[in-house]
Amino acid sequence: MMPPEGTVTGLVERSAAAYVQAVPAQPADDGFFGPASVTWRVSTDLSAPVAGLRSLLMQALHPLAMAGVDQHSDWRRDPVGRLAATSAYEATVTFGDRATATRAAERVKAIHIHVRGVDTVTGQPYAAGDPALLLWVHVALVDSGLAAAGLLGTPLTATEADAYVAEMRIAAELLGVAHEQVPGSVAAMGAYIDKVRPELRCTPAAAESMSYLLDPPGLDEDIADLWQDIRDAAVLSLPAWARELYGYAEPPPLTDERRTGIRQALGVLDAVFMGEPGVVEARQRLTLRMRRARSEGTSG
Amino acid sequence: MTGRLRKLTLAAGLGGASIAALTLLRGQQNRRAARLRLQRGLAALRLAARGGARYASNAPRLFASAGEHREQLRNDLALQTAEDVAATLGTMKGVLMKLGQMASYVDDGLAPAARRTLSRLQDSVPPMSPELAAQVITEELGAPPAEVFATWDPEPIAAASIGQVHRAMTRDGRAVAVKVQYPGIAETIAADLGNVALLRRMLKITAPHQDVDALLAELRERVTEELDYRREARNQQMFADFYRGHPTISVPDIVPGLSTRRVVTSDLADGARFAELAGWSQAERDLAAETIYRFVFRSLYEAHAFNGDPHPGNYLFHGGGRVTFLDFGLVKYFTSEELKPLVEMVKHLCVDNDPEGFRRAMEDAGFLMAGAPLPTDMIVEHMAVFYDTVRERGPRTMTGAYATAVTRRFFDFRSPLTAYVQIPRSYVILQRINLGLFALLGDLAATADWRCIAEEIWPFVQGPPCTPMGAAEARWRSGREVTAAS
Repeated sequence: MMPPEGTVTGLVERSAAAYVQAVPAQPADDGFFGPASVTWRVSTDLSAPVAGLRSLLMQALHPLAMAGVDQHSDWRRDPVGRLAATSAYEATVTFGDRATATRAAERVKAIHIHVRGVDTVTGQPYAAGDPALLLWVHVALVDSGLAAAGLLGTPLTATEADAYVAEMRIAAELLGVAHEQVPGSVAAMGAYIDKVRPELRCTPAAAESMSYLLDPPGLDEDIADLWQDIRDAAVLSLPAWARELYGYAEPPPLTDERRTGIRQALGVLDAVFMGEPGVVEARQRLTLRMRRARSEGTSG
Repeated sequence: MTGRLRKLTLAAGLGGASIAALTLLRGQQNRRAARLRLQRGLAALRLAARGGARYASNAPRLFASAGEHREQLRNDLALQTAEDVAATLGTMKGVLMKLGQMASYVDDGLAPAARRTLSRLQDSVPPMSPELAAQVITEELGAPPAEVFATWDPEPIAAASIGQVHRAMTRDGRAVAVKVQYPGIAETIAADLGNVALLRRMLKITAPHQDVDALLAELRERVTEELDYRREARNQQMFADFYRGHPTISVPDIVPGLSTRRVVTSDLADGARFAELAGWSQAERDLAAETIYRFVFRSLYEAHAFNGDPHPGNYLFHGGGRVTFLDFGLVKYFTSEELKPLVEMVKHLCVDNDPEGFRRAMEDAGFLMAGAPLPTDMIVEHMAVFYDTVRERGPRTMTGAYATAVTRRFFDFRSPLTAYVQIPRSYVILQRINLGLFALLGDLAATADWRCIAEEIWPFVQGPPCTPMGAAEARWRSGREVTAAS
């Protein structure tokens, strides 16, 4: 197996560019979620980077999903490009209008057609378009949004959490998962995760790619320092069984002081992100739309 | 007499500029490695400041491009609740802005325009909604603005440090400016400064040779000062009293009954903004520059006070050199002992032409390690740039290039002096003379006989007036003495 060649030079710059591109200046409609949705709140929460990292850790535990990424994507050559592409897609589906989000999903589906093969660890054939794999990737993302917000961001009420899971179903449907297959509540999502758990394992590809992600070489010194906190937070927010699969040590309990420290690191990272061209304008576009939705919601 | 004069006056001023020569670094063996580390560190701090700086430069553009919807947009983005304040300035954002301000006087890598952007950071935060501002007034003054004041303009006229300024009329008919602090900002920033593990790490990367605890103490002290408007009110009233009746310097009086920890009310002043000076004649610009120069050094020598926030937004210009000075949130008072070596430095170098005395004064101030194996003429040569405008008589034009050169010398790590110099904490703020005053005068391309004006102010010279403004100031000073005696 080839070691990763690429470094994470430009992680912030390229993620920011992807984000700016994904937040529409003049959307034709409010997209599949809209400014009043729980999804927008979770996606704009301070904890979102931790959610993103956690969801990758969860997704990689599915051997077939991991095999697809490992054998077909160029993450070793251009890890940042891969991350930026993923976050651009998520942001487009979340904030884009319906036509744009649908087009983005169609492009991903077209790529998935060619992503198929045999996993060398389990010996099983896989196809990226397989609804079972797509569903795991989806649930890992949604579960991580809830976990990160609950631990480090603005926690959701039980009703809001259920609403978030239900709202997000459309994201899986856009990639070809049937509506009735996608969990629509926190309880249903938990049951699904329990059902899949026996299939999960930490393959060599998962171990390699995730250790790269948790400790990326070539990070600027200052970003690397912040990254430690984000990484620790992501590991901390994993279910204990997932940490055990990776062999990560049980982290010390999250004290108020440590939580504040992690939130500060997220805040500094956010400020750095905001320094990239166009990010502030994109944020303001979203804030304005969410504010309007909020005031319409309370007055109407 | 001499003793009394020294006690009364003392001279950081022009001497204070000289501290720019002295690096923040403590002595180190490997200068090249230290320089690399510092460059990386400064890059880190720049990175931290970048977010806010970009926000500052971008936000107004959004408003400008919105045309007729501008007010609506401003209103829509306004901070509506204390939670909005916490979301905007919490989790280190407010602290980063403060760090950015500190970076703006220790960093030579920022262009003047970027430095100005940084100093405008505070303007970039959206204003409070009228309801939120009214809520703060109610909490602080006991009743809503409509009851406390005869008239109240709900639209803020300016952004202020961690707050905003409203125009109002008091019940006894005084036109006032009311500065209102963002609710919850004190608690938000205090919380971030109470948990310093991350900050400590950032500063360790940023400034590996500095005493991180001292820096944190400095940051905490400064922010705490700024959060309590009562201190600012006291500072401003001190300056207002000191300059009362001055021919060109004006400081608005405080209205004590309407000033609290989070609200400060002062007389309303109106005038041209710094940007408008670009359209004024050079003669007018020279006069304005002369007033600002006199204000900075007269305050330092006589009142032992230095306003550490000399950014362009804190002046209003009225023509004929008359200037109103605003915002006294960051005032540093010097003890006689602190100022004395700075006076000695300028005296020995510029008046007595006594290099050895100059060197001794540097050592006394703690700038130069005693017994450093360096020839005195090398030290003098290195330091001379900081005294450039006052070493000789004759008209000199301030330029941006001069301000930049002074700053660059400050960061000149090739100099053999680097290993033997440092800046004691109480003098660090004076670096703002270079980045604030000299950059400002450079922007104005102001011409004057700065040496001659300095001689008027230098306590060990007390020269005769050398400009019409100097003559007017001398009359004001003698009038003040008469008043004080009677």
